[in-house]
Amino acid sequence: MKRLLLAPLAVAVLAAPVLAGKPITVKGSDTMVILGQRWAEKYMNQNRGQIVTVTGGGSGTGIAALINGTTDICQSSRSMKQEERLKLRDRYQTMGVEIPVAKDGLAVYVHAGNPVKSITVEQLRGVYMGSITNWKDLGGGDATIILYGRENSSGTYGFFKEHVLQNRDFSARVQTLPGTGAVVNAVARDLNGIGYGGAAYAKGVRNVAIAKDEKAPAVMPTAEAVQDGSYPLARPLFFYLRKPPAGDTKKFVDWVLSAEGQRLAVEVGYFPLN
Amino acid sequence: MKHILSVALASLVAAAASPPALAQERADTAAVTRQELHGLLEGLNEQLQTLQADTDKLKKFKFSGYVQARTEFSESSNDSVRVSGSGGTLATPNATRFFIRRARVKLAYDSSPLSQAVVYFDGGADRTIRLLEAYVTLLDPWTPLHDHQLTIGQFNVPFGWEIERSSSVRELPERSRAENVLFSGERDRGVKLESQWTPRLRTSVAVLNGGGVNSADFPATDPTRGKDVTGRVRWSQGTWDAAVSGYWGRQVTPLTGPDVHTDKTRFGLDAQAFWTLPQAGGGSLRGEFYSGHDVNADSVRTLVVAPSSSNAVRLLKSGALASHLATDMRGWYLMAVQNLGERFQAVLRFDTYDPNVDLGHDQFERWSLGLNAFYDGFTRVSVSYDAITTDVPAAGGRFTDPHDNLWTIQLQHRF
Repeated sequence: MKRLLLAPLAVAVLAAPVLAGKPITVKGSDTMVILGQRWAEKYMNQNRGQIVTVTGGGSGTGIAALINGTTDICQSSRSMKQEERLKLRDRYQTMGVEIPVAKDGLAVYVHAGNPVKSITVEQLRGVYMGSITNWKDLGGGDATIILYGRENSSGTYGFFKEHVLQNRDFSARVQTLPGTGAVVNAVARDLNGIGYGGAAYAKGVRNVAIAKDEKAPAVMPTAEAVQDGSYPLARPLFFYLRKPPAGDTKKFVDWVLSAEGQRLAVEVGYFPLN
Repeated sequence: MKHILSVALASLVAAAASPPALAQERADTAAVTRQELHGLLEGLNEQLQTLQADTDKLKKFKFSGYVQARTEFSESSNDSVRVSGSGGTLATPNATRFFIRRARVKLAYDSSPLSQAVVYFDGGADRTIRLLEAYVTLLDPWTPLHDHQLTIGQFNVPFGWEIERSSSVRELPERSRAENVLFSGERDRGVKLESQWTPRLRTSVAVLNGGGVNSADFPATDPTRGKDVTGRVRWSQGTWDAAVSGYWGRQVTPLTGPDVHTDKTRFGLDAQAFWTLPQAGGGSLRGEFYSGHDVNADSVRTLVVAPSSSNAVRLLKSGALASHLATDMRGWYLMAVQNLGERFQAVLRFDTYDPNVDLGHDQFERWSLGLNAFYDGFTRVSVSYDAITTDVPAAGGRFTDPHDNLWTIQLQHRF
């Protein structure tokens, strides 16, 4: 019986290598990857010896990594879905901890030479569901609208689908691209292109003002509009963890939420929580 | 790409270094090069879009699975290994054994937003590839999140918490005894309607053949000669969940002459509560209760004369009542799971099953203690000990508990 007891114990010990001084891993949203990297750089400068690694891949990828235990923190530009929370609970007996860390205005980009200055959420829905296909229906020239979007592992994709398309399906004409940067590049080269993504990425393209409906004024994704909620596509950005942060992870999260961390979010092009 | 950059760089250098007389010619050359570059980029873009379209198609396939390799140290043998040529069982019980408990591969295909198909195979214990699940699901087009889904094929019976949880995430190697007996194989063929009424309320209703994949008659079209109906209502609060399940059908015991038809019912209640301890992590307490009425294998053995080579008839014994073939059964379990940091998990469960509540000494009781060590995000080692209590008739009208406790060590990898 002693042998029987020792064998399982030996296996259990072998399976759990002791990990001391583990770096903090952050994975997920492509929208947040630059922000996360800036946070990590500054934090590591101030806390010598602490390593924080930040990678993208999309919010869905980050959430999968959180469930698989391959990241400490998941960055997500959308809320976790119920089914994802249940998967996390299956393994860790917890639904996860959600921490809003910044705000973002999900911007709609067009080519700098495109005359269309504003669009309603309903029109945007029509464009991305395929019922509006020509710029002239939006006050532009007579040209087919070329749609650019994100992959379905992207939180930006999920937020856009939920809040603009009301969870309906995208048109099959949408060209999916791996990252907001790729969407911006595509729209910057395409006079008839339209895309969406984080406001901080809008370089070489023009943001379109968004109106909640026909009667409401069209609003640009400015700091004020995102903060006061008048911009229709304002969204929170999240950290997700498996359990309440503790130790080094808590120190990092606390710093991100501090005035300094929030200031850095503004410098990168996002908006503070308060 | 290197070639493109080299050409561009060479053109720029040449243009910058040239005397005025040659400037126009060089400029023309540069213009041609720009056109060429543009053409190349457009070509690459087209290729990229073609690749993207192909990749999008491939992404519709979802390939997953897991392998459970297991070692068991038992107090007694539970297999039928025989010594070649001896004609008898091993003198020493084959109490230590290595085997593959499950080796499963699932392929799902989301052909469109409104339909999907799944094929799921197991090639575990006996080296035979078995079809575990195969179904087509239609998603409703009238709700944004496709809240109603109709599934036709071979799938998990929608009854209870244990069945709907994959064996790859379960904290102990096997489900409770009650579930193993009442829903052996967990799957059946039929049609199922699942509805997510609110984010927390979910219902499932299914019409099934009723035999189940592990029944001797499977895959006969309908061994019970009447469809069985099952349903489940589940409320998922997050920190606690609760559900009620029901199952109604008929069971046929074939005899020489008129067969015996009996009711086959099950009722189930299950609940789970979850918590998080600051240092240790998540934990949960789960319980499930089963009761019902069905044909009892022990009763059939006792009350029916089994056919033999000399007499092929299968009849009730003299004086036996057909209604006694079915009995009321009851079973339940209570289970606690606590994560110990990110890499360990401790589990304790008590489960019991009584196939005939009117009869004594036929109960099964088991204490299970387990420890899971997570090697990485995909691999875990599970160690568990089952202390089993059953009554076996012994001399002098007494009963004894056979030595059948069990250590299990399992290595599992999910992909």
